Amino acid sequence: MAESGGGGPDVTQDLRVPWDDERRGYERELLAARRVAEASERRVGALQQINADLAAAPTAAEVARAVVAAPGQAFGAASATVWLCDPDRDQLAAVAGTDPAGLARDDIPRTSCRAIAAVARRGDLHVIGSVEEAEEHFPELATKMRRTGRGTVVLLPLTAGPADEPAAAEVLGVLGFDFAGPHELTASELRVVRLLGHQAGQALDRARLYDDARRREGRATFLAETTRALEVLPRLMPRARKLVERMVPEIAEWAAVRLQVGPAGLLADAGGPAPDPARLDERIAAVVGDGAARLTDGEGLDPDCAVLPLAASGRVLGTLALRMAPGRRTAAAEAAFLGDLADRAGLALENARLYEQERAIARTLQRSLLAGDLPSDPRFAIETHYQAAAQDLEVGGDWFDAFLITPDKLAVVVGDVVGRGIDAATTMGQLRSAIRALAAAEAGPARLLERLDRFVDRVESARMATVAYAEVDLPTNEVVYACAGHLPPLLIEPGGSPRYLLDARSGALGSRAGRTERLEQRTHLTPGGRLLLYTDGLVERRNRGIDAGFEMLARGYAGRRDSPLPGLAAGLANALVGRDHADDVCLLCLSLGTDDRLERSIGADPVQIALLRKDLRGWLVAHAVDEESTQAVLLASSEAVANAIEHGYRDNPLGTVDLVATVTPEAVQVRISDRGRWRASSTEVARGRGLQLIRQVMDQVSFDRGDGTTVNMRRIRRELR
Amino acid sequence: MSIARWVSFAKVGTTDLVRLAGEIDLVNAPEIGREIVRRTGAAEAVLVDLTAVSFLDSAGVRLLDVLVGDLDDQGTPIRLVVGETGVARMTLQLCAFRDDLLATDLDRAADELGR
Repeated sequence: MAESGGGGPDVTQDLRVPWDDERRGYERELLAARRVAEASERRVGALQQINADLAAAPTAAEVARAVVAAPGQAFGAASATVWLCDPDRDQLAAVAGTDPAGLARDDIPRTSCRAIAAVARRGDLHVIGSVEEAEEHFPELATKMRRTGRGTVVLLPLTAGPADEPAAAEVLGVLGFDFAGPHELTASELRVVRLLGHQAGQALDRARLYDDARRREGRATFLAETTRALEVLPRLMPRARKLVERMVPEIAEWAAVRLQVGPAGLLADAGGPAPDPARLDERIAAVVGDGAARLTDGEGLDPDCAVLPLAASGRVLGTLALRMAPGRRTAAAEAAFLGDLADRAGLALENARLYEQERAIARTLQRSLLAGDLPSDPRFAIETHYQAAAQDLEVGGDWFDAFLITPDKLAVVVGDVVGRGIDAATTMGQLRSAIRALAAAEAGPARLLERLDRFVDRVESARMATVAYAEVDLPTNEVVYACAGHLPPLLIEPGGSPRYLLDARSGALGSRAGRTERLEQRTHLTPGGRLLLYTDGLVERRNRGIDAGFEMLARGYAGRRDSPLPGLAAGLANALVGRDHADDVCLLCLSLGTDDRLERSIGADPVQIALLRKDLRGWLVAHAVDEESTQAVLLASSEAVANAIEHGYRDNPLGTVDLVATVTPEAVQVRISDRGRWRASSTEVARGRGLQLIRQVMDQVSFDRGDGTTVNMRRIRRELR
Repeated sequence: MSIARWVSFAKVGTTDLVRLAGEIDLVNAPEIGREIVRRTGAAEAVLVDLTAVSFLDSAGVRLLDVLVGDLDDQGTPIRLVVGETGVARMTLQLCAFRDDLLATDLDRAADELGR
């Protein structure tokens, strides 16, 4: 279009220019409108995609991942980050970001003055248009904008609740995105941004409910499984152990159960690291004091170590201390669950404690009854053995007894009361006393059983007890025996084969179905003969018939005909039932004549030393060892065994101490050995006196500490001193 | 098991008499010791009769050692009656207990303390 010269008005130009401008303007508008439409379409597409992603996101983390992609796709933002609120800790944590380097790993307290926290508190969109604007309110944000070269930052709260009522909305997180330069968002863009915040908030709310439901379900399953797992362990320590082992690592990174039982208390812990001990003790004392849980303590050492009371029937039995697994909900947030867990554990542990108490009473009672004085006399020797069932069963009602009816008449008994536990132990004690009281020289075994039948009419718990009973006339070696529902005694005589005494059998005590006529049988026991009474645990085993059991016993007994009597009963029990036996085993072996060798093996329990002394004393007396040497050997052996238990088995209550004593016309030789590890103890001074006593009363003493400790001691008999 | 099996108490004039019997060892000695301390806290003089003791080990010796030490500190006279022979005499002599503590006759020792 050429410019015309001259002064006249250029109509063409006048006409043309507005048209052209209009056209250009129109094109521009059209272009802009198309751009807007395209941007809008892109936004809508992006938002639709995000909406679909949000609907499919089952967890808060996946919601965050879907949301963080939106600003880039919809508005061309440079980078974006999502923070989620952690209501338990009252803080915001960055969980997703488009720029991995930009994802700050610091958690922001909700009360902080930082921009993110301010937006989370206010619950409204905040656009910071420039570094200068940021400088005014949020210096830390301005610093960051300068560092990362950002011009505009948008902070959008992710809210759940009614869209038309912003005041009632709950802020579940914050989405932050930014632009490299100044970037003004249009009103429609802002509407879309707000909509995005609301949709993301709804998705988070859904995920949170879903998380809660899943966690509640997991907790319920955990509680039910824990209760079941504890139920199958009746004893206290295994129960406490099981509890902490179940808790770590599933619930906590460290857990400890402390119970106020016994003089030392009980402790079971798992995981780590353990909290500061002084701080923990302080908290435990507080919980024991008022029975209220201490779940958190915002300051000081180990603020996240929680302590809950373990209570039953209104009494605090102990405490459950724990530190929750890192990155998991806090103990305070799990208060209801932990309270429920502690309640159940308290009940389970209290039951175990009662069980333990009853078991201890039953054991003590049984031990005191079995440890009663057995007669010692040069004319005979008695060897007994009691072995409790290997599994953690309650004590059984098996017992043995031997007593002199007159100076010349010996009675031996082995019996078995129906049932287990404290009732069985009590009944056993009553029956044992009844037999001692009712046995009379002129009566004999059959009459005794008749009297016991009348006794069980009054003591019902003794009904159906079985008894093998024999009386020995010591001057003549005549034996009269009777069995009331009990297994037949086994007799072996020098040069003969073992023989079961199968006569004089009748039903169990008070039996209504069994033969009630009480019989007795007379037989002769040659000097050197041995009579064995035993309970069914010795021959009855699940995996073999009782006939096979009888045969094995006879063979084992015959094979030991020349073995020394001491240790014979234990040896037989070991050969027939071994260590892993399901029932109690009780044996009594009566021998006419004595052996010059005594062998004993006792558990690492000081109570057993008295039993060992009793055997040793009887054996020394039977060999006519002088009183002074007898006392010396008893004292030295006692001290050596005490040493073995206190030093060798400080860490192993299941260890055993072996004693072998031999006697010659000149001297008594004793060897005491353990397989423990010698450890110095706090009773060093006291034990030192024990060692000194050993050296003083014995003529030769040597210690050998290799694999365990062996003490060899020799005492010369007085007639040769 | 009640410890009455091993320890009983009586008075001889103004003196507290403690009778020990049976086997005293590391199982029952601590409890017996506590019982003696409980019952003789305010005694003017204490006489321990060990003639019926059938066994006494180093834990029993420790029990007596502590008892004598405590009473000496309080200025309370004490005698241990061990007879002419016997287990208690043997063990206590082996442990070199002071001669002035050991007595052979209960009545004479009671007279001495009563004076």
